[in-house]
Amino acid sequence: MATMAGGQTRAYAGSRVWQAILEWLTTVDHKKIGIMYIISAGVFGLVGMAFSLVLRTELAETGTILSGETYNQLFTMHGSIMIFLFLLPIGAGFMNYAMPLQIGALDMAFPRINALSFWIFLFGGVLIASSFAFDGGSAYAGWTAYPPITGNTGGNIEPPGVGMDMWLIGVILLGQASIFGSVNFLVTIFKLRAPGMTMWRLPLFTWTTLVTALLILLATPVLAGALILSFVDRNGAGGAFFDPANGGQPLLWQNLFWFYSHPAVYIMILPAMGVVSEVISVFSRKPVFGYRSMVLALVGIGLLGFIVWAHHMFTTGGVFLPFFMGATFLIAVPTGVKMFNWIATMFRGSNIYPTAMLFSIGFLMLFLIGGITGVFHAAVPVDFALHDTYFVVGHFHYTMSIAATFGLLAACYFWFPKMFGRFMNEGLGKIHFWSLFIGVNIIFFTQLLLGLDGMPRRINDYADNPGWELMNQITTVGAFLAAAGMMVFLFNVVHSMFWGEKASDDPWEGTTLEWATTSPPPPHNFDELPEVRSERPLFDRRWAAQLAEDDHHHGGGAKTPSPAAKRED
Amino acid sequence: MPSLTKLCHAPGRRALLVLLFAATLLVLTAGVAGAQAVPPKAVTTQGEDTRDLYFLVFGIGVAVFVIVEIMILWVVFRYRRKSADEFPPQIAHNNPAEFTWTFIPLVIVLVLFGISFVVLEDVTEAASDDEDVVAVDVLGQQWAWAFNYGVPVEATVEITVPDSAEVDKIFVTNGSVFRPFATIRIGVEHMRIQDIEGDVLTVERAVNGTVTQRHPRGAPIDRVFNGTEILEEGRLQDAPRTPLVTVPVGRMVRFNLASQDVLHAFYTPQFLTKLDAVPGRVQTLWVRVTKAGDYASQCAEFCGRDHARMIFTVRALPADEYDDWFAGKIPPLGDAPPPPADDDEDDQSAADSSQGDAANGQRLFFANGCNVCHGDTGQGGIGPTIASTNLNLDQVIGQYRSPRAAMPVFPADRVPDEDVADIYAWLQTQPLPDVIVPGEGTP
Repeated sequence: MATMAGGQTRAYAGSRVWQAILEWLTTVDHKKIGIMYIISAGVFGLVGMAFSLVLRTELAETGTILSGETYNQLFTMHGSIMIFLFLLPIGAGFMNYAMPLQIGALDMAFPRINALSFWIFLFGGVLIASSFAFDGGSAYAGWTAYPPITGNTGGNIEPPGVGMDMWLIGVILLGQASIFGSVNFLVTIFKLRAPGMTMWRLPLFTWTTLVTALLILLATPVLAGALILSFVDRNGAGGAFFDPANGGQPLLWQNLFWFYSHPAVYIMILPAMGVVSEVISVFSRKPVFGYRSMVLALVGIGLLGFIVWAHHMFTTGGVFLPFFMGATFLIAVPTGVKMFNWIATMFRGSNIYPTAMLFSIGFLMLFLIGGITGVFHAAVPVDFALHDTYFVVGHFHYTMSIAATFGLLAACYFWFPKMFGRFMNEGLGKIHFWSLFIGVNIIFFTQLLLGLDGMPRRINDYADNPGWELMNQITTVGAFLAAAGMMVFLFNVVHSMFWGEKASDDPWEGTTLEWATTSPPPPHNFDELPEVRSERPLFDRRWAAQLAEDDHHHGGGAKTPSPAAKRED
Repeated sequence: MPSLTKLCHAPGRRALLVLLFAATLLVLTAGVAGAQAVPPKAVTTQGEDTRDLYFLVFGIGVAVFVIVEIMILWVVFRYRRKSADEFPPQIAHNNPAEFTWTFIPLVIVLVLFGISFVVLEDVTEAASDDEDVVAVDVLGQQWAWAFNYGVPVEATVEITVPDSAEVDKIFVTNGSVFRPFATIRIGVEHMRIQDIEGDVLTVERAVNGTVTQRHPRGAPIDRVFNGTEILEEGRLQDAPRTPLVTVPVGRMVRFNLASQDVLHAFYTPQFLTKLDAVPGRVQTLWVRVTKAGDYASQCAEFCGRDHARMIFTVRALPADEYDDWFAGKIPPLGDAPPPPADDDEDDQSAADSSQGDAANGQRLFFANGCNVCHGDTGQGGIGPTIASTNLNLDQVIGQYRSPRAAMPVFPADRVPDEDVADIYAWLQTQPLPDVIVPGEGTP
């Protein structure tokens, strides 16, 4: 909006607003599109969070407040909105905003397709969210939409209404937006890098963007195909793909769905990992430890992500268990490498803890719990006990939901000054961090325990077993605490956007190219680019003297080499 | 850069307090969790193995958690920035360290894989051929369970093998044979006739379980009886009754899971296992219960509106009690009368077969889950009022076989006509409620 301010007079104040709106509606600038992604995904996220509070209120006591139909619609839409309309697009938003800046590009490779992606996403999202208004309400089959509960034949007593079709079409559209976006990201990274920005000098966030885009490109078409088949099953007078009443195979859907949706877990978490790598490096004044092993671990996670889909189906009785068990166990290795590298980055660092850094450390702690509980599920016999209980709910919230959200919140605090030229309030940020951190741990640790004790997921009422009601109440309290923290955050965002403390171009002593331009950057991103000789060009410039001295003292750095410049030799 | 400067000079004491607070919270959480993070006591041999594996994974998990959390907190606290121009050593990598933290997790997961693999083989192992097996056909439907017990092991049809040993001349009197003749449909399941040799007919279940049973030539395979009993106690406020399945302690029990509509899952927390019931498939869950008792169980795969109310109880009886219970349920092996034909009064022990047995009807009403939709006295709910219906028996049977509206189909091999008659008889004894839920046959 800063670009709009110049050259306008008071007389045109009314039309200026319209002009600004029109400019945002027609923009092809990756930064504006990124911000629109982030804001619309954030709004969807708040809706999804509101749903979760309703669910938690229902579960606070035994007995029911909501009808079964309403409860099922709400948990379905909580999951669908949080995954398809919050986590996936908000990651895309930050990648859209930061990646071209990080590689010193003027814009994305295909700016118009970029805009098209966003508007398709928004349309698909509104389509899904508006299905509540129609006869029969929204889809109620869970975000996984397992047939035959999605179908209108096969003895399903209560076939979902038109909301299910809207859900299917909406997700197809979101997938299309993702595919467009991923091609755009890939071409941008491969073709539009600044001089000197070799692949081994890409900032880690850009690397995660690259791997994420590859996962999207390879996995999403499979989901799109499955969604179309499911739509035909419902509307094509018996497509006989998934509906056993017509000779279809329900498990086929699960295979196709998870072939996308397991990589989708990484599509959600990888951008967060990229952000955390950047943030920790900046606030510890150190290079990301083991840059190359970080990249290899990313690629390893991406590859393994394609051969573990059936670990969501261990109890279906329809998969070859040992293979998927082994592959799933193996994922612990690259994720472990990343965890230790992050810690090693802070080791002997010069660490400070602004809110972005707190959220990054929070990410490490939450992701650790998520990763360890993942190993429980990898061991198939243990998964037989824990599958479809609240243990799973706790596990996947720790990883792809809450850890991913923490990474993205770190991104928000970190890049906010770049986006708007103003800081977010640090005091409110700390309140936000602590209430959210404590809140989500209360929620999801308790859910792990509930699941271990045998409470199944997706139920709107539960037996009065010893401790269950108390644990559910604790969970509900945690949910409201976390939500209160998010309200503080919401206020902070809106307030800081207009009245926040002014930030300089490089307020965090950043290391990557986005900090070399103004805050907010001009439409063409850069007036001039610094020399790129490592993955931290700005760090090299700021600390040139010390780095030279280091080199001198350590004779080329046997123990403490200067970051990437040495490795390139 | 006002904010950054401020952050650089943040007082160490406060950071220390915050960190101590975080660490305390962490330790407390971990402590409380450690005390609570115990799965239910296993009551099957398979569950005990799984529980042992759980504790192994849990132990390793806790160790990793504690070590890594300490590392995180230590670097966070120990390496705070001391001055605004502090320049830390630019350590970018360290091959031995990186090798170590790649190699150690790799070894841990490979060991875990090996152990899990062995335990997996163990908990999914079928009974040996000569072992006495109790088979229970479990049928899930929205939102009830039906349990059928096989005699001696399984099968729901009467099948007679003639002297001329041609596979395609097997006579099936209650069930259906599909051509080509290699398969018989028995209940919800397809069985393959493998071999007829001498006086032994070998039948192999087509899906998942490859257990071979032997049936003497010419001897009928007795039909499975619908054994669903109903406990007059519920665990949820609006579900006051619970279907009951009874199994013996000490013998291998084979649950054959099927579904008539959508996905369900058979989940008994104290068995530490679950298996999905997938429409179109029959899947096998083997358990050997070690301890008598009633075990709360429920559907674990989302199946629609009343998923939460799709509960059941597994009752494990000591072997001798089980045998008594079982003997009381069915005629002795080999003497089982063929299912009564429509005009054959003599085969029915109860004299009032044309009238239907209301007491048995009440049992069947709950066993088949009719109460889920029609209410406990047929007063109506999601489905219409059916107490004192105006329909005649034939019309009611017609409704079972090809229902109008949303009711699922109940084919004759699940609820035979005489069972419908019993249910009908009981419904006629139930009073009309004050509020009628309109539908077929309501006034």
